Amino acid sequence: MIARIGLLVATVCVSAASSLLAQGPPGPPGPPRSPKAAAPVDLTGYWVSVIAEDWRWRMVTPLKGDAASIPITPESRKLVDAWDPAKDEAASVQCKAYGAAGVMRLPGRVHITWQDDTTLKLETDAGTQTRLFRFGGTPPPTEKPSWQGYSVANWERPPATPGAPPTLPIFATRIGTRGRSLEVTTTHLRPGYLRKNGVPYGDKVSLTEYFDYYKEPNGDEWFTVTTIVRDPQYLNGPFITSSDFKKEPDGSKWRPTPCTAR
Amino acid sequence: MARSGVPLPARLAEYVAAGLQTGFILALLLACASPAAAQVDFSGQWAPVYHEDNAERIPGPELADYTGLPLNDAARLQADTWDADRISVVSSYQCRPHSADYGMRGLGNLRVWADLDEKQQLVAFHTYMPAWGSERTIWMDGRPHPPDYAEYTFQGFSTGVWEGNMLTITTTHLKTNYYRRNGVPASDKRTVVEHWTRHAEFLTVVTVVTDPVFLTEPLVRSQNWFNDVGQALPAFNCEYASELPGAQEVPNHLPGTNPYLTEFADWYGLELAATRGGAETMYPEYRLKMGAPHSKPPDRCKRYCTCGGGFNCDVNPARR
Repeated sequence: MIARIGLLVATVCVSAASSLLAQGPPGPPGPPRSPKAAAPVDLTGYWVSVIAEDWRWRMVTPLKGDAASIPITPESRKLVDAWDPAKDEAASVQCKAYGAAGVMRLPGRVHITWQDDTTLKLETDAGTQTRLFRFGGTPPPTEKPSWQGYSVANWERPPATPGAPPTLPIFATRIGTRGRSLEVTTTHLRPGYLRKNGVPYGDKVSLTEYFDYYKEPNGDEWFTVTTIVRDPQYLNGPFITSSDFKKEPDGSKWRPTPCTAR
Repeated sequence: MARSGVPLPARLAEYVAAGLQTGFILALLLACASPAAAQVDFSGQWAPVYHEDNAERIPGPELADYTGLPLNDAARLQADTWDADRISVVSSYQCRPHSADYGMRGLGNLRVWADLDEKQQLVAFHTYMPAWGSERTIWMDGRPHPPDYAEYTFQGFSTGVWEGNMLTITTTHLKTNYYRRNGVPASDKRTVVEHWTRHAEFLTVVTVVTDPVFLTEPLVRSQNWFNDVGQALPAFNCEYASELPGAQEVPNHLPGTNPYLTEFADWYGLELAATRGGAETMYPEYRLKMGAPHSKPPDRCKRYCTCGGGFNCDVNPARR
């Protein structure tokens, strides 16, 4: 009898938990919806970065040697102190500060559109860069390093402890069943700069970003992207920033510019 | 005999058994259900991340650095009168806590815990930050904000609502305070909206401040913490002390007399107008009209160049 009750408890609770977990963004039953159709928030449109943080490290190219706020390694410090923009120009690598790990901190506008049902495209007018957020899949083995790398995206699932084993949620359920965040993981990056004054990241860098949308009482729409850069070569821990973008009514202020090294 | 041919007592027993089973299942479903309104549990120990504006938030801001703030002229006028000796002379400034909004930007270690009622429904979140022993309550039970004539405090009155996995908090009834610790004022007319999101071990809080007295548009900033289960927070002790005995006046700079307003621009090679803040200076197109630095820029960084993730933030370290 006790075993039967236990089985009943487990069945009911698993059923309830599965039901809650399966909720995700609300929608009609049927075949799985595409990432575009299942989007819990609309990130498309033109957005401007509003520089209320790190102003003197973003709105102007910081002074040589200024790596304040970034947890750099001694190896990185040597490169920071040796930064020479003329060498970058001579080597035609003016886009080093416009790679995925740095470009969202640069002043500018981004234009977000759906390239297709499974690919979100983010363009920047600063440096005229294009990032592609691909839902599902993994980087192909032939993927070559590039300024923007290879980005895998998903609509973030409910919070859980990373790597935790599956549990039987008796008398408990998982919470956070209505995630609204976009999670993007980027690898295959060409070495670049976290800041325009040559604070480096290397070819082992990886990038995790979370895009969160919100609307203010005055009607303004914003997203904040939390960026976590991990680089075992040049950072002594994850480098975490969050950058804020306000939605604009149209693309009238969109002005693509080339990369510059200074 | 009943219609089905089953004896009535036996059928009655089946009904009772079925009813009990249904009730049991319903009870179990209720027991398994989480609080209806809760989406994310922010409870825990959170350690701050100082990877933005480290030099401003840890050692403290330079005088007359108003960059990135959508200030109006009234705010600049008041900030220009600031003299840090004021803290040494005026005892009421000495143990003055950061307000709820600046506290989240100045950013300290944070503990969050939840109040649940007897039905395990979320009533409130509480936060504690050791800096000045600041404790907040964020009401989650739908109660309204008090009338305008109610008490104003440094932590204000906060209510929260869920927007999916995001907790949106509105805070009113805040005392006057500051947007930056170099005298940039914040009025008691301001309203603060916060958006809390948790991504794995990271907490991001966006603060949106609307202040009709000192800001020309909302001030939007975001800051980060990581979950640190080993963190333990101490109590905070602050005692008043007369640091400038005999001072006869509140240290200040009358309008037009502050001699230190250009230092920040000179040290970092910046246009002086940009260091005065203002909404216009916060948008990318300002770079097109930005003028020349106030004086010849240094050839390399000479102040606060090595502030990393923690406190290794000397003004001018020996290495250089």
